[in-house]
Amino acid sequence: MQKLMIRFSITSILLLVFASCAVKTFKDFDKTEVTSEIYKSPYFSDKKEDYVYKASISVYGNNFGGIFIVKKTNETTHRAVFTTEFGNTLFDFEISGNDFKVNHIIDELNRKILINTLKRDFMLLLKEDFQVSEQFENESFKVYKSPDGKRYNYLFENKKDGKLSKLVHATKSKEKIIIEYLSENNTLADKIVIQHKNIKLTIELNKIIN
Amino acid sequence: MADSEISAFKNAVNATAKNTKTLTTDFTQSKHMDFLSKDIETSGKMNFKAPNMLQWQYVKPYQYSIIFKNNKIFINDAGKKNNIDKGNSKMFDKLNKLIVGSVNGNMFDENEFTISYFKTKDFNITKLLPKDAALKKYVKQMELYFDKTGNTVSQVKMIEPSNDYTKIIFKNKVINAKIDDSVFNN
Repeated sequence: MQKLMIRFSITSILLLVFASCAVKTFKDFDKTEVTSEIYKSPYFSDKKEDYVYKASISVYGNNFGGIFIVKKTNETTHRAVFTTEFGNTLFDFEISGNDFKVNHIIDELNRKILINTLKRDFMLLLKEDFQVSEQFENESFKVYKSPDGKRYNYLFENKKDGKLSKLVHATKSKEKIIIEYLSENNTLADKIVIQHKNIKLTIELNKIIN
Repeated sequence: MADSEISAFKNAVNATAKNTKTLTTDFTQSKHMDFLSKDIETSGKMNFKAPNMLQWQYVKPYQYSIIFKNNKIFINDAGKKNNIDKGNSKMFDKLNKLIVGSVNGNMFDENEFTISYFKTKDFNITKLLPKDAALKKYVKQMELYFDKTGNTVSQVKMIEPSNDYTKIIFKNKVINAKIDDSVFNN
């Protein structure tokens, strides 16, 4: 009896540990069959389009703004540029798959920790093809789980209109970055909010009709 | 321009700048980047009150205003307000001078810039190359277009080290109309 109790306690403790470890992202979702091996993010995929956003960045209570510009320059490459409202370029990055190149950054922003944060954010934002390893769903969303090194990306597709509405970048147990999209037409994101969970950093992007 | 033309032009601009107590103007701004298919167009209003109060207000396609006053910068980003104390920031001081100077034409500082002078049918043009190493990283060259009739700046082109540029065109300029100080409150 005592043995059984001990075994039961250990099991419940283990269950508790696992339950609290599991990322909350797709809690209450049911696992389903994987319907497609690749999930394609639609929002920065048109080479003809100049993607121009008014950006508001909030970092540890400080707000500043600028213009965020993305252009898909060839099949695998995006340019991501941030300027002041007056047009002075603050940084200019080139992202191609896992390659990341700094074309230009002003001295005041040239800090490794900042560049690495932006690098991860923009790589997530501009990544087009996500390899799907598992799939989940609830009443409102289909969720595609995609491995990303030691971490995972969870892509939330709205069942009603088929639009990508959220991307969650997480470790096995913790959400790290959440990107939310608002889109009128499913090919262009009108509003994007990038929220960090481990640092107080939020980037809000609102599409400028140019 | 010949030397005599340059000094006549400088005198005329300085005299106009001296007599400019206030200046109100609309502006359109286009940002050119080589890799984009289209320039990014923004527009708004600018208010200047001598000696150094300046409000730069974008209206389209977004609401954003920046006020330079008493060594401080006040920003209103669609309702989100932010103040920056320039304090001892040399860079801010230079940028402030550059912006105010672009508006009132008071930019003939040979210590700060290597300046050359040109003329077309409609414009007297000054090209300014920054001498300061820090400023050079932001601005390769400034071009100020002065309309010949009023000797005020009607167009500014700021060329970046990458050769991308921002062009600002002033329209509906009104000089010495009354501007309430409250315009420069955030």
